[in-house]
Formats: sequence, C-alpha cells, structure tokens
Amino acid sequence: MTAHDLFIEPFTFEFMRRGLLSALLLSLSGGLLGCILVLRRLALMGDALSHSLLPGVAIAYALFGPTLPALFGGALLAGLLTAVGSALLSRLTRVKEDAAFGSLFIILFALGVAVVSTLRSRIDLMHFLFGNILGVSSADLRLAALTSATTLVVFVVFYRPILLETFDPVFLRATGGRGGLVHVGILCLTVLNLIAALQAMGIVLSLGLFLLPAVTAYLWCDRLGRMLALSVALALAGSVLGILGSYHLGLASGASIVLSLGVFFLFSAAFSPRYGFGVLILQKLRAGKAVLHDTR
Amino acid sequence: MSAATHEIIRCAHVTVRYGERLALDDVTTAIPCGVATAILGPNGAGKSTFLRALLGWHALAPGGEIRIGDAHAHHQLPRLAYLPQRHAIDWDFPITVRAVVAQGRYPSLRPWQCLRAADHAAIDRAMGELGITELGDRQIRMLSGGQQQRVFLARALAQGADIFLLDEPFAGLDLYATEELTHILRAWVAQGRTVLAAVHDLALARAHFSHALLLNTRLVAAGPVAKVLTEEHINAAFRGGRCLHDNPLRGVSTTHFPA
Repeated sequence: MTAHDLFIEPFTFEFMRRGLLSALLLSLSGGLLGCILVLRRLALMGDALSHSLLPGVAIAYALFGPTLPALFGGALLAGLLTAVGSALLSRLTRVKEDAAFGSLFIILFALGVAVVSTLRSRIDLMHFLFGNILGVSSADLRLAALTSATTLVVFVVFYRPILLETFDPVFLRATGGRGGLVHVGILCLTVLNLIAALQAMGIVLSLGLFLLPAVTAYLWCDRLGRMLALSVALALAGSVLGILGSYHLGLASGASIVLSLGVFFLFSAAFSPRYGFGVLILQKLRAGKAVLHDTR
Repeated sequence: MSAATHEIIRCAHVTVRYGERLALDDVTTAIPCGVATAILGPNGAGKSTFLRALLGWHALAPGGEIRIGDAHAHHQLPRLAYLPQRHAIDWDFPITVRAVVAQGRYPSLRPWQCLRAADHAAIDRAMGELGITELGDRQIRMLSGGQQQRVFLARALAQGADIFLLDEPFAGLDLYATEELTHILRAWVAQGRTVLAAVHDLALARAHFSHALLLNTRLVAAGPVAKVLTEEHINAAFRGGRCLHDNPLRGVSTTHFPA
C-alpha cells in the first residue's frame, strides 16, 4: 500500500472530504472548549449534558424533520432543562446537585431513546447515538463552520474573563466582571458544539473530541495559552487519524476518532515528563518508596 | 503607627441573608483609613460575608448601605483588592506566577486590548515589591505556601488598589510564612494602605493588627484591638449560648508568636 493509497485515496470521495472537514472544524472549537471544561471540572457534567440532549433533538426531528434551527432549539431546551432543573432540585429538595444532575440526565436520555424508538424513519437510534460521518450534508458543514467560528471569536474576545472565571471566579466578580454570564456562555457554547458534532460523532461520543485532547494537553503544559494550542492540534491530528482509520479498517467514524485521541491520552498519562505516572513510579522506585502512598 | 485620621469604609445597617439564614445582621460600623483591621469571630460569624459584601458580591437587605470614601461602594471597585482563601485556588492550574500577577491589570483593559507598557511596569513593580521577580516563569504549584501567598498579594498590588480585603490570609501558613506576611502587611499600612483581614487566631490579631472588628452575625465590638478583645466581648462573640467549654482566652494566653 503506498502513501497515496493511505492518505490521499480516501479523500477522493466527496463524503470523506465532507466528513474530514466537519471533524476538523469541530476540532478547532472543541479543542478550546474542552480545556475550559476540564479546568472547570465540568468534564462529567458535559458528558451528562450531552446525553440529556437526545430527547430535545429527537422530538425536534420528529416534529420538524432534519432542519438545523429546530434541532438546535430542541437540544438547547433539553440542555437548559437539565441544567436549570438540577439546580432547582438541589435547592428545593435534600438531593445534592450531582445526584440531581445524574438523575435528570438519565431520565431525559431514556426519554430520548423512547422517542427515537417510535420514530418511523431511516434515521435510527444508532445514528443519533454514534453519528455517521458518511451522512454529513452541506447544511451540517455550514453549522460546523458557524459553530467553530463563533467559538473562536468568543475565545479571542473574552479570553481574559473566561480565564478569570475558570481560575478565580471570586476575583472576577470582585473586579466588576460578570461571572454568571461567562458561565452561561460557556454552557451555551458547549451545547452548540455538541449539536454541531451530532452528525459526525453522535451524542454519546462527541464529547470525546472535546475532552480527550484537553486532558492530554493538560498533562504537558504549564501555561493556558500553550494548553489551548496543543489541545486544538491534538484534536485536529486525532480527527485525521481517526477518519483514515475508519476508512481503512471499516470502523465507525466517531469511535475511530475517539480511540485515536484515547491513544494520545493514555500515552501522555504514562510518559508525560512531569505529570505522567511513568516518571513518578520511576522516581519512587529509585528512592525506594511506596508508589501509591503519596503522589505529591 | 499614625493615629487613624478618618474612616474609609462606612457600613450602615448591613444585613445579608442566605435564603432563610441571616449571615450578617444589622451591622453598622466604620473602618479607619490607613490601618490594619482584623475581622474576628467564630465560624459562621459572617467574616467572609462581610468582606464580600464590601465588594458588592451580596445583595444587601433594604435599608443597608456601604460607602467607600464618599462614594457608593459600586463605584469604588478599583480601589478594592480582594485576596481569596487558599483553598479556593486550583494550584494545578496551568498558569505562571507572572500571568497571575498580570490578572491585576485585567479590570483596566478592554476585552480585545493587550497589556500596555504601563501595565507591564505595574506588574514588574508589584512583583519586585513582594520579591517574586525571579519566580515569574514558575507554575504556581512549584512555590512554597508563603510564595504562593505573595503571588496573590502582588496581584492585588498590581491592581493599583489602596484597600486590601484578605480572606483568612494566615490559614495554612507555617510560622515563618506567617511572620513574613505580617511584615508585608505592616509595610503596607506604613505606606498609608488600608488592610482588612478575616483572621481566625485571636493572638495573631492582638499581636499584628491595631484595630479589630468582632462579629457574631451581629456586630459585637469594633475599634482599637485592645478595647475590642476584652474577655466580655470575646465571651459574647464566641459563646453566645452555643459553646460551653473553656474560655477561649485561656488557650490564647499559652500561644506565643515571634514579635
């Protein structure tokens, strides 16, 4: 097999070019957004949020067909319902916020699965859950481009408030910043990116494209600027590798992308020179100490 | 230390509620300018709430008012610098010492504006004053507790503020770092700056602060430290019907701090 067969030939197909472009666009924004989610410790919340979007998307699809404004509106509503609902539940009952969130999102997810299972259409449950890169339409591409551009602009213009809200929200508020607005903005961007990634990655896997590059970069970088840059680069590389892998090995595209990114992450967790467990274990063994006793 | 000339912060009937619970109950007091004032009281007395109320963080119940200088507190935010509690910071955050100090300049910048030469000068000055110039490129985890504290003090300085609100600045510091911090605060007061710190340790407040504010949701006493920390006031603040064991003064008398 020549290099041409490996790298060029897959992209002689229109659908492969579209799939690649869509994944690359989402890597740009997802790589940035993922860093903020990781640093704000919202990784699990993002995952729950993505699951809870399903009923919104499914109902919008059942009512209006595959039109993007409807899908986006439905997903946004479902996402807000989870976020606001869990905040209310935790305030008005004895249940704590994480448990409230966990309960609500699984209810909504089940509702979504139920709705999808009643839909009589070519689009089945697997498609919603895991995406299909072969089916990226030009409308999907437009949404991905719009999402990516919006996210980039927001990050460039509001870099400092986003940094402060993530690092020291009290300071942001104390200096007259609008912390709550930044937080809501980040959640809205997350929902927007999840919708845009729905077609290519599916609801369950799309967050992998955002989070994995970010945690990987977190293992290498001590400056936020570099972490953001590395995260985007990793997301781009993972997308290309994943799509090539899915073409040559016949894997599902979303899974293939997430697996490529997973390899980066596991490698870094082991071999990152400062924060990997490999170095840590080596040091402890040399010093003759117990490994898991104290990691700092 | 110079005698207090006038009052820089005035609070009138300040009441803050968290839902049903009263965090601050009708506090009327004034903070003198250019001195170090310790805010004391038992856990849940409203020490942090008081500091954050000054920053406009909490909505005050109707009738309450906070004035800074002659103006409403909201217009005076640039004069206030706030130092967060240590545990509020994620020390693994990918950020360097200089980048943290630079945050002090953010409030004066428009969103798309870069740091100007004057901003860099202010950052350099603040880092120089606190002796962390050499540490500029370090990630914040790779510092001692005292150095970490100084990074955030430098950020407060870089803001160009003259009133410093410190939330439990001595929590988690060892003896050496504690002494270092008290030196810094003394120097600030000598330069005419106003320091307001929530403090847990009565002996520490007695040794290093000239004024005190004793809270137990309500204001118990305020004024020069010796007049505030009397046995009667401490009993009123710390016992208040909730804690029946020993006189807290007895424990205090056995603790010695280096002068």
